[in-house]
Amino acid sequence: MRLLIVEDDAPLASGLRRILEAEGHAVDVTSRGEQAVLAAAQERFDLVILDIGLPQMDGFEVLRRLRGGSPEKNGPMPVLVLTARDAVDDRVRGLDLGADDYMVKPFAMPELTARVRALLRRSQAHGGPRIVHGPLALDTVARRAFLKNEPLELAAREWAVLEVLLGKVEKIVSKEAIIQAVAGWGDDLSPNAIEVYVSRLRSKLEPAGIKIRTVRGFGYMLEEYKGA
Amino acid sequence: MAARSLRAHLLRMLLPPIGALLVLGALVAYYPSLEPATTAYDQGLIDAGISLGTYIHTAEGGYRLELPSAVDQVLRRDSYDSVYYRVLGPNGEAIAGDDGLPGPPPERELRDGFISYDTAYKGQKIRAVAVPAKCGEAACSVVVAETTVKRRRMTRDILFSSLLPEILIAIATVLIVWFGVKRGLGPLARLSDEIKKRSPGDLRPIAAADTPEEARPLVSALNGLLDEVAQASRNQQRFLANAAHQLRTPLAGLQAHTELALAKPLPTEVRAELEQVHQSTIRTARLANQLLALARAEPGARGNAAELNLKALAESEADGWVHQALARDVDLGFELDWAPVHGDAFLLREALANLVHNAIEYSPRGARVTVRTGRNGTHSFLEVEDDGPGIPAPERERVLERFYRVPGTPGTGSGLGLAIVREIAAGHGATISITDATGGASASSSGTKGCRVAITFPHG
Repeated sequence: MRLLIVEDDAPLASGLRRILEAEGHAVDVTSRGEQAVLAAAQERFDLVILDIGLPQMDGFEVLRRLRGGSPEKNGPMPVLVLTARDAVDDRVRGLDLGADDYMVKPFAMPELTARVRALLRRSQAHGGPRIVHGPLALDTVARRAFLKNEPLELAAREWAVLEVLLGKVEKIVSKEAIIQAVAGWGDDLSPNAIEVYVSRLRSKLEPAGIKIRTVRGFGYMLEEYKGA
Repeated sequence: MAARSLRAHLLRMLLPPIGALLVLGALVAYYPSLEPATTAYDQGLIDAGISLGTYIHTAEGGYRLELPSAVDQVLRRDSYDSVYYRVLGPNGEAIAGDDGLPGPPPERELRDGFISYDTAYKGQKIRAVAVPAKCGEAACSVVVAETTVKRRRMTRDILFSSLLPEILIAIATVLIVWFGVKRGLGPLARLSDEIKKRSPGDLRPIAAADTPEEARPLVSALNGLLDEVAQASRNQQRFLANAAHQLRTPLAGLQAHTELALAKPLPTEVRAELEQVHQSTIRTARLANQLLALARAEPGARGNAAELNLKALAESEADGWVHQALARDVDLGFELDWAPVHGDAFLLREALANLVHNAIEYSPRGARVTVRTGRNGTHSFLEVEDDGPGIPAPERERVLERFYRVPGTPGTGSGLGLAIVREIAAGHGATISITDATGGASASSSGTKGCRVAITFPHG
């Protein structure tokens, strides 16, 4: 994947670059908003990591230009905003201007890489019919699932629950959110029913090292795949 | 220095001139009215003298007063005073009447032929008149006198009737000053009540609408001061917030590079050192956040208060907490119900984050931590409960102080977390309580009491 980092703090920019390169991405770095706007107009990036506190043209302005420019070629360009400020207004403003996610400095690198992966996966999901999570692959067009390249039998609701969880890896998905996402599948679902589907999914996926964590009283979280 | 009483001061200034005016007024009223009254009484004596004169007859070898006893009685009858008279011949010899009644002082000149004078007789003060009379062809005189009982009475009456209204006016003046000052200062008293009732953070200008003209300069001076204090407070908060913000970017770089380095194969010793650097970095970042929160929670910081739901607030932060909990193998759970509050989202999020962080940080591996929000009657609350070691009852007040840590506490916290929670709670008019765990978490196998920190918000 091709990433653009817009950050004027050199040590942080180089740290981010090395971490994301270690993840296997091609990373460009610029410290100036104007250059970022120019680069994004000329080339296609799969993700932009944008600092708000830039000299001269600030991150909000860059974001406005990225979003307000000509329709982006080859689908939307996700933007992950970084900021040293955490005022609620800033957060809202960033998201209003079309940022896809928002991180307040400083942050743990695993969290950053998880968010980057999630954003890339989300943007990929728009175009690609395949969702991959470790040894698990879902063909959303053919509605067929594979685990370690073997076909995996999933009931319709199990599929629906899994799809919701795969859309938010490493994030808690509340039971209500799952019920809402699955509600189209027929009659009313109780939270207990969701528990049943999750426990069935667990018995099918955990042997392969895919973990669904229960967050007591709240919902579920599909963990990042860390190997079997 | 004792405060000067405005009333006493006013009275001190007013009373001497009022007293002087009183005396002057009495004198001015007294003497002019005394004169005609005295003249009227004197006239009575003169008339009696003239009547007496008509009873003088010429006799051989001299003069005689032939006064019928009935007339004598009428003459001498008086309700208050004793009346005396004496008839003197042309050469000043006594012809009749009361012996020894003093004649007119020789130096006194006649006015209209009459002389009136004060003298004494039989040990009493008397008022006398000498009236000219005819003894045949010769001139003689009649002296009529009376004691001064009714004159003194009259004097007293005149004095009293002229003084009474003035005394009443003086009393009224004192009362008007006394109550008028109280009433006049009423708006000032209301003003000080209003200022007293204010929370320390309330630096809004005082409304001048209700204050009297004379107090306006005071109010506007106060408002000027309030404005300056608010400005200074805003500047200080802006500085603190900026400082904390400025720290974050280099800290993010530091954290990135230590994590990068830790991902590489390293000699054990170097790795241990680097782990320390990494932990310190994370702690410093946390401290920067806490200072920022403290600056924002400071009274006077104009928060962005809005209608919020604590349930939604907790849900939006749950992701981050769950990762913290997983890292320490803590079972983080939620019991979230609708809990509306009027408050500052950033500050409440920070308060909740501090409570959850503490619960996770100070609980042993495998512990249960539960975040709750909800309504207790009409009060919204949020609480965080753990089944960790708990906080001994005597320490529960002190842990809310800045930089205080329970002695022997493991880990490396700053001791700011609960102080921040307390300030944020106070800023929202909420109360904070620390108790043993009460929920299911207290039935912990380790036999510890656990800890429950609850923030209860005011009715709303």
